[in-house]
Amino acid sequence: MSVSRDDFSIAFRSALLQRGASQKFSIFSLIIIAVIIFFLDVYGFAVVKTARGVINDVVYRVSFLASTPKRIFPSLNSEIASHFNLKKENEELRKVIEKYKALELNLEYLTNENLNLKKVLNAENISNVSNIILAKVLVDRNSPFLKSIIVNKGSKEGIEKGMPVTKDNNLVGRVVETNYLSSRVLLLNDLNSRIPVTLDADNSQAILSGGGTTKPKLEYLPEGYEFTEDVNVFASGKDGIFIPGTPIGETTIDGEVDLFIDPNQLSFVTVILKKNEKKF
Amino acid sequence: MAQLNILNKIYAAGPLILLYYLSISDVDANLENFLEIFSINLQLIIIYFWMIKRPGLMGTGHVFVVGLINDVVMGFPLGISSLSYLIVCFVGNYVRNKSVNTTLASDWVTFLIALLLSNLLFFSLINNFSDLVIPFAKIGYNTFFTLFLFPIFWFLFNIYQMSFIGSQDA
Repeated sequence: MSVSRDDFSIAFRSALLQRGASQKFSIFSLIIIAVIIFFLDVYGFAVVKTARGVINDVVYRVSFLASTPKRIFPSLNSEIASHFNLKKENEELRKVIEKYKALELNLEYLTNENLNLKKVLNAENISNVSNIILAKVLVDRNSPFLKSIIVNKGSKEGIEKGMPVTKDNNLVGRVVETNYLSSRVLLLNDLNSRIPVTLDADNSQAILSGGGTTKPKLEYLPEGYEFTEDVNVFASGKDGIFIPGTPIGETTIDGEVDLFIDPNQLSFVTVILKKNEKKF
Repeated sequence: MAQLNILNKIYAAGPLILLYYLSISDVDANLENFLEIFSINLQLIIIYFWMIKRPGLMGTGHVFVVGLINDVVMGFPLGISSLSYLIVCFVGNYVRNKSVNTTLASDWVTFLIALLLSNLLFFSLINNFSDLVIPFAKIGYNTFFTLFLFPIFWFLFNIYQMSFIGSQDA
């Protein structure tokens, strides 16, 4: 019995402390270092924060380069396929151009009408484009636990924690971490994402909760609320983070929200440089 | 002869290169578009297999660095993946010290222990000490699929080992 206990302790110690020709560090010492780094990072020591910011910027850039084959191969495939469909595509494009020419005339008429109406209402033009930043998605690794993306703009461009991120004017998430040259955006379908939203004609208020799946769920709706399909969901802006009325998606019969923007298909996003009304 | 030597070194570095690549690139093993709960932790399989078969190819220092890179890319607190990977290294080391010859069945059973210890530590640290919340079900599914698919990768890595590195176990 004592022999087997000795065997156990020898094998245990050896596994923890042994260093061989190619093992320059013992597992024990590395575990201790990892624990120290973990707690320094979790409790937010200033030195670790700065170091992490620098490491993040470097690793994200390298990660972007390392992921190049993943981006290139699907696009090459589609380019080859489109090459064989050129004639057909040309005809279709001609039709589309004709259609858009007609629409352009209509648009010009509507723009003029809109400007005239604004003059009547004495409304100011709120579409100020100077407060938005177009950012490229560097890394969109699909983690089983966290749904986030890394964009190539950071505190250098004035991005701050908490700023809303959109694509085609639809909400996709918010900034949760900023480095000098990059930022991390928490997507709406992440497990840790909670957003106050408003929906339907009664302006019902709810919380949109990410579940790690593609469709986030609506929670805390009025008692007895019955879900109907295709009801548009907008950010209510009650948290002071998101702009009220930013479109998010449409409801499904199960109380989930079918997002207007597929979180797995993001290549460029817009960060809205909105001064935070809340501290994070 | 020198060329052959370089080739052998490249083949031997293959698993480590794959490990680094998986951590730093946005290539992942999650097929949630097809099956929402499906996700596997390929890094743990790679580390465990090569720790048992050829520990010389998988230095613990490299495993530590890979963990740090993974934390940065994934947005986890620094050091948590390193810890989880090092636990797997430790179990692999222990099993190698205790056993003379390993089979798929023995590796599979011992991998379960490594996986449970590693994921339990990951789950407890992340939920108790960080702002992130990860439900147990997510970790559970990940553990299940990683364990379930271990034999497939065991065979693949075995073929790689026999074809490019040499059939003799550590």
